[in-house]
Amino acid sequence: MQPMRAIVLTVAKYAALGFGSFVMVFPFLDMFLGALRTPAERLAIPMVYWPHDPQWHNFVRVFTELPMLTWFANSVIVTVAITTIQMVTSTMAGYALAKYRFFGSRLLLNAVLGAQMFPFFLLIIPIFFLLRFVPLAGGNDLFGQGGSGLLNSYAAMILPFAVTWYGIFLMRQSFMAVPDEIIDAARMDGAGEFRIFATVALPLIKPGLATLAIFVFIYQWNEVIWTMTVTRTAPELQTIPVGIYLLRGAFVDQSTLSLQQAAVCVSILPIMVVFLLLQRSYIRGLTAGGVKG
Amino acid sequence: MKTVGVRIPAGLRVVAALAGIAFGAASASPQPITTIRVATHYNAEQFAPMRACFREYEAQHPGIRIVHSQISYQDYLQTVLIARAGKSPVDIYSLYSIWAPQLIGTGALDVPPADIARFVRAGYAPATIDAATMKGHLWGIPTEVSVYQLVYNKVLFAAAGIHAPPRTLDDLARTAAAITRKNRQGNILVGGFAFDLSGANVTHTFYSEMYAAGVAPYTADMRHTNLRKPAAAMILGKQVDLFRRGVTSNSVLAGDFAGGGIGMAVMANWMKDTLRTSLGSRFEATVGVAPIPSDGRGGTMIYSFFWGVDAASRVKRPAWDLLRWLNSPRGKDGGLSCTGAMLDGMGDLTGNRSDLAAMRASIADPFSQQYVAALRAPGAVSQPNIWHASEADRVLKYYIELAWSGRMSPAAALAAADTDITAILSEQP
Amino acid sequence: MIAWLTSKRGAPYLFMAPVFVFAVFLFVGPLLFAATISFTDWEGVTAPRWVGLHNYTYLLIHDGFFLTSVWNTLVFAAGSVIVGVPLALIAAALISQSRYQSVWRTIYWLPMITNIVAVAYIWRYILNDTSGLLNRTLDVFGLGGPDWLTSTSTAMLSVIMVASWMSIGQNVLVFLSGLAEIDESYYEAARLDGANPLQLFWHVTIPLLRPTIVFVLITSLINALSAFVLMLILTEGGPARSTTVTGLYLYDMAFTDLRLGRASAAAYILFALIFVISLVQLRLLRRGSVEGA
Repeated sequence: MQPMRAIVLTVAKYAALGFGSFVMVFPFLDMFLGALRTPAERLAIPMVYWPHDPQWHNFVRVFTELPMLTWFANSVIVTVAITTIQMVTSTMAGYALAKYRFFGSRLLLNAVLGAQMFPFFLLIIPIFFLLRFVPLAGGNDLFGQGGSGLLNSYAAMILPFAVTWYGIFLMRQSFMAVPDEIIDAARMDGAGEFRIFATVALPLIKPGLATLAIFVFIYQWNEVIWTMTVTRTAPELQTIPVGIYLLRGAFVDQSTLSLQQAAVCVSILPIMVVFLLLQRSYIRGLTAGGVKG
Repeated sequence: MKTVGVRIPAGLRVVAALAGIAFGAASASPQPITTIRVATHYNAEQFAPMRACFREYEAQHPGIRIVHSQISYQDYLQTVLIARAGKSPVDIYSLYSIWAPQLIGTGALDVPPADIARFVRAGYAPATIDAATMKGHLWGIPTEVSVYQLVYNKVLFAAAGIHAPPRTLDDLARTAAAITRKNRQGNILVGGFAFDLSGANVTHTFYSEMYAAGVAPYTADMRHTNLRKPAAAMILGKQVDLFRRGVTSNSVLAGDFAGGGIGMAVMANWMKDTLRTSLGSRFEATVGVAPIPSDGRGGTMIYSFFWGVDAASRVKRPAWDLLRWLNSPRGKDGGLSCTGAMLDGMGDLTGNRSDLAAMRASIADPFSQQYVAALRAPGAVSQPNIWHASEADRVLKYYIELAWSGRMSPAAALAAADTDITAILSEQP
Repeated sequence: MIAWLTSKRGAPYLFMAPVFVFAVFLFVGPLLFAATISFTDWEGVTAPRWVGLHNYTYLLIHDGFFLTSVWNTLVFAAGSVIVGVPLALIAAALISQSRYQSVWRTIYWLPMITNIVAVAYIWRYILNDTSGLLNRTLDVFGLGGPDWLTSTSTAMLSVIMVASWMSIGQNVLVFLSGLAEIDESYYEAARLDGANPLQLFWHVTIPLLRPTIVFVLITSLINALSAFVLMLILTEGGPARSTTVTGLYLYDMAFTDLRLGRASAAAYILFALIFVISLVQLRLLRRGSVEGA
């Protein structure tokens, strides 16, 4: 290919990627600029785009005027709890399906794969009401009547996410790469099955563990629909994105929108930092495990 | 449901009881604690005067504890319905009247005792008593009442050379056209009129215009609609006209008013607080209130809340007694009741006649006076408590928006709405 | 018993136990519960009333909006796949041929790790008809700009665009790993025959990427058919319900109107639709592909 043509194509390629990147990234900047606008700049016709008097203190107001700390605490509690529980259930089930041949293992594996087909909206309604009728919880009697069950509690936010089918699948893939010989050797040394799992197999799949943990953490931190459904009437339990959304009625007046935009910026920041720091292992793990189904 | 307040642990109660017995025959036997739970959509700040009253009542009535929790307005009905089922977690409700039919349908509300009914009939505006009356019974004590009127920006009017608010719907269109400003791309910068798609704005504006034209949207038996009447199609047609002329669009929002982005909108009196906060000292000079334009005799829609008591409550009589106390004038010369003080602080109106008189100072401004006059005028009709009112409203909103976008003619849209809403209404017991 | 559970024979059951308990109470149980409720009339308070197939026939025949919502769902799904997948493929192809791949990957991934409330609000501001960045940019070039989110003619298109923006990163990653597996020798052979880059892409890359493309198409379509949270927050399903997909319609039916029976029926109808479409898609696309999922 002639050099001129090669150069043109290369420039075109990077220009295209650059334009795409702009479209990917600039919207975040737009929100950030919005957080810095004064009410006067916002209400001006046309709206002043680049803030001349950046209202940095809006980011402080987010913490003083909004229950951001409560939301943040809830996000941390719920996300860490779910991530921990999912790591436990996924690794245990993944190990069983990878390293044992037992009655029903084939069926269970297909079930795990098939379960991913069921969309979440199918489960939202029944799980909500099943939680409502849990006996002896939240004021309920033995028959699950009279109170509000497990609703309005951390349990309601965490339990429906105790297991992730995709996580089981990923862990199974990871464990399958662990040579059976090592396991057998440990068995012959007299180690119990659980010891083998915890001290021999688990350490060998650290990259996979990291990938799953990060994946789950990010997904659960950002989870909105179930959390919103279950904490709509319990503001003290709301997580950051849910809290911001449910408080939207307070931002009817045009001039107060900068505070809302600052809150949105704050909601994005933690995950962005986590992601940028850990993205190498995260992305590597995802692409290795997930393509062919 | 989360309860807020102080609960005396059982152990301490026993100790207190023993102490009571030990320290003299003169002391009466220990009071059992009666807890009355109140749930409203008001937030802590709005509810503060009531909370002070609660403490006072508790001091006057040892043995009674009052506990308040807030349920969000959007989810109030659903929360009460879902959390209830059997025993009652809440004793006293503050109910938007349209929530009541479903609660009554599941047997959730207690019929007030005769003395409370007398108390209400003696002291409240008839329209608000109507709002709290369903199936022939009165179900509680009215509290806040909201009225709709046309709110307009006097500054924008003056700049366009208009000196009086419009009287008819055609006037409205002309005035809106004079005020509307667009940018180079044809998008609206200043909207002559605003409907605002959020919440009940769409349907309440429509209902208010219907009442102003003298036609109720629903029949008296509340099983049918009057949406197929020519008056309804005419009103919707004039609304569609505003869109076609480009003097309003779906992107013109109520929140734009303070920034000078709206010429006119139909708003309720409780917007006063928001507008006053945003406009500050410019409030009086900017905000004008006028009757809703119509080609008929004029009128408006009002809606109200009322205090109700749960039918399965174990403290019904104490709850009604508390409510009566909260809604009776305090102080020597018929001062504001506790409820009145709360509503006054929010800039709201009340159906309680004595409270309305006692609020004189805070509703003396032209903004409030127009609303009070509208409330007292003969054409002010209470929003009907139809079955599944919110659902019916959402259906109507859908068809109205279809007509606005030009996808359905007004008559066809209203006919379709009539079919769907009648199906909902036919389900009621 | 304990001995058996901790032995090699019994250990897998112990490992699978938490997942099994979860599956019973928080997966299969709710699915059966929802299915049962779909044959009743229930508002969550009084006892359910058996109505047989009435909810299903009502939705499919009498409900004035249900079928429109299904149409909206299909339009959204088709639109977001038609827009999102080719863009992801092109972006991945360009990235794979460029330097600083990890930088590009991170940039294109940012929207994926952002919570949906933030995404919706970011775009609500950008798509505002008078003050939003998009229309103001168009204005600079003398172009007009519609009411992106508030006009019935452009609202669905806007939702499709935002959904594509949000999910492009996921598909870029999958395509990248698929592209990485294509042997360089194929390209060399084609280049020797004188193929230019475009021909290389069309005649070498795409055929060899086929299984990955199939995978991406199937998963993207399934996700798009189930999506509804973006519509809820971005446009509240409006204007005039033009962006109300079935998932959103049934969510409101359940949690605002408390028509749990009908909502469950709607959920199963939508699920059946997704299931059928997935099967059809699998059959159509897997024919002749090199390796199946």
